[in-house]
Amino acid sequence: MMVSRSKSKKQKFISCTEKNKKYEFVNPKELYIKQGKENIPIEIVSDKQGFVYIVWKKRKYLVDIIEKNQNQYEILVNGVSYSISVESPFSYKRRKYLAKNKEASKVEKIQAPMPGKIIEFLVEENQEIKEGEPLLILEAMKMQNEIISNIHGKIKNINFNAEDTVMKDDVLIEVEK
Amino acid sequence: MKKIKSLLIANRGEIAIRISETAKKMGIKTYGIKTSKEPNAFYLQHIDEIIDFTEVLSDIPEFLDINRIIFSIKEHNIDAVHPGYGYLAENPYFAQKCIENKIIFIGPTPDAIYKLGNKTIAKQLASTHQVPLLQGSNGNIRDSKHAKQIARKIGYPVILKAASGGGGRGMRIVEHEKDIEKMFRMAQNEADKAFSDPSVFMEKYVRNPRHIEFQVLADHHGNIIHLGERECSIQRKHQKLIEESPSVALNNELRSKMSKAAINIAKASKYRNAGTVEFLLDESGNFYFMEMNTRIQVEHPVTEMVTGIDLVEWQIRIAQGEKLTIKQQDVKLNGWAIECRINAEDVQSGFTPYLGTIEKIQFNKSKYCRFDSGITDGSMVTANFDSMLAKLICFGDTREKAIINSLNALNRLQILSIKTTIPFCKAVLNHPKFKKGEISTSFITKDMKQLYHQEPDEELIAAFWAALNHNVQLDIEDKTYVDYEKGKNMTPWLLNKRLKSL
Repeated sequence: MMVSRSKSKKQKFISCTEKNKKYEFVNPKELYIKQGKENIPIEIVSDKQGFVYIVWKKRKYLVDIIEKNQNQYEILVNGVSYSISVESPFSYKRRKYLAKNKEASKVEKIQAPMPGKIIEFLVEENQEIKEGEPLLILEAMKMQNEIISNIHGKIKNINFNAEDTVMKDDVLIEVEK
Repeated sequence: MKKIKSLLIANRGEIAIRISETAKKMGIKTYGIKTSKEPNAFYLQHIDEIIDFTEVLSDIPEFLDINRIIFSIKEHNIDAVHPGYGYLAENPYFAQKCIENKIIFIGPTPDAIYKLGNKTIAKQLASTHQVPLLQGSNGNIRDSKHAKQIARKIGYPVILKAASGGGGRGMRIVEHEKDIEKMFRMAQNEADKAFSDPSVFMEKYVRNPRHIEFQVLADHHGNIIHLGERECSIQRKHQKLIEESPSVALNNELRSKMSKAAINIAKASKYRNAGTVEFLLDESGNFYFMEMNTRIQVEHPVTEMVTGIDLVEWQIRIAQGEKLTIKQQDVKLNGWAIECRINAEDVQSGFTPYLGTIEKIQFNKSKYCRFDSGITDGSMVTANFDSMLAKLICFGDTREKAIINSLNALNRLQILSIKTTIPFCKAVLNHPKFKKGEISTSFITKDMKQLYHQEPDEELIAAFWAALNHNVQLDIEDKTYVDYEKGKNMTPWLLNKRLKSL
């Protein structure tokens, strides 16, 4: 039979963090995490209310998947979030390959850190800017916030106008490095 | 004055529930407002009679709709209104309207609200009553040139504040002269937008101050007492996040000096009801009057815990004309209380509001803890309301024990599917400087390297949980369709060929 062949094999998963740190797990369903040469067992506990905990090395962690998109997971552990993308050995290699190409990109996107309304832009297109320079004023929850440039560069595009309402992570300004 | 038999709670969330509990204890019938933005809100379950505002079509938010609220109070023949905090709590016009309509407003007189709410007038009041003030503009600033002039006189850094501001909004610190004109215009603009009043004044900015405030109670018969201090130095952008009572920074001598100043302010404004006088305390023990809040404060439970006095009960009793039966010498601060604010905020990305549905919340109470919560399973967190969901208040015989009890309680508080300030509160309470009581309003920016607490191996656990869930997910998908790639042996040759074709 075709199906059973892959099942009997070792299945390897590579979990990558936002900072490209990788953790490898072979057959996670066997419920252990390998540390050095030792396999340390994991226990999954769920209580009556439906809270799920992982117990490992005598510590108890509350785990909660708050977002999932294909292989991208946003996981809360004790209320702290971790962005993890789960890759197979092949997709991991592809990811690294793509990341290499991306590094060459010269455009930095300035995103809205929170939903809000744009009060005014303090820069114009084609203007040279320095790191730490304020780019625009965004009003959120009635507070006016200066959005600061995190790089030196030149303003390539301004994607909104004053008075526009923006969502979190909307690309407001593109800066050429 | 008549005895209050019914009460409209013109607020929502945890404070609406807090007020309803005391009202119930006193045998007062409670009314609450149901809004279309939150028709299934938790607070509605704690209220005797619901007034339905869901069909009101108005641009004015429900809890700010003075005419509608006054109309409803009269329609239902309700004796009194408790505004909670925020919304109409410090609106002199609303308090005046209540008087005109023979409704008991649980709070001070419109005159006191107006005078103390306007920072410029409040400061003049303080300066004529021997209450120390920071050097400043002594009034509103006319224009950016004027701003520059005054800043030169008092020396940088300076702080610009909206005259009608509050709750930490509408403030800007200016470090250098080159920024003063721009910052002044921004402060004006912001003040105009937020408070419909562009007036801005200036003060000397004190580095690393502590925020110390005094709770006062005043009745209609001229009795005024204070209930000790609260320290609210753990703030982010002037928003309080952790509060405690008493404060490590005060000895009896300083406490007595500051409480006298607090009572002076209250007397000067002919204050009645519960109020809070806020001070900045600098590193050498000098204190300066900041403002007086003419409402029940978010952080009032820490005072209740150490004094054993129900502040909301006294608000109601004073409003119905009762005499304060507590004498100053009867007020004792026993032990230590700490409040942690549980906000729906993403601490990992600059405390941005975190919206969503709270799938589940669980808290195991203990005798050392009080949990004032406005949420339950299924509660929605929307952009319509403040991000504060609940407050966890813990007691200990000493500060050290209060910290331990708070940390234990935070570990027993679980909220699913949204991000909250719980990991932040744990990080503060675990911080060696916080434990030593070495705090200031710059604590978060100056002393905290990481704003959230992590247990060892959390990231590893997250990585594992993702891998396991993904594995299970793939198994499910495997059963439903055949992926031609699965089961194939991945050779280096095949891999390279595929990568080239990407």
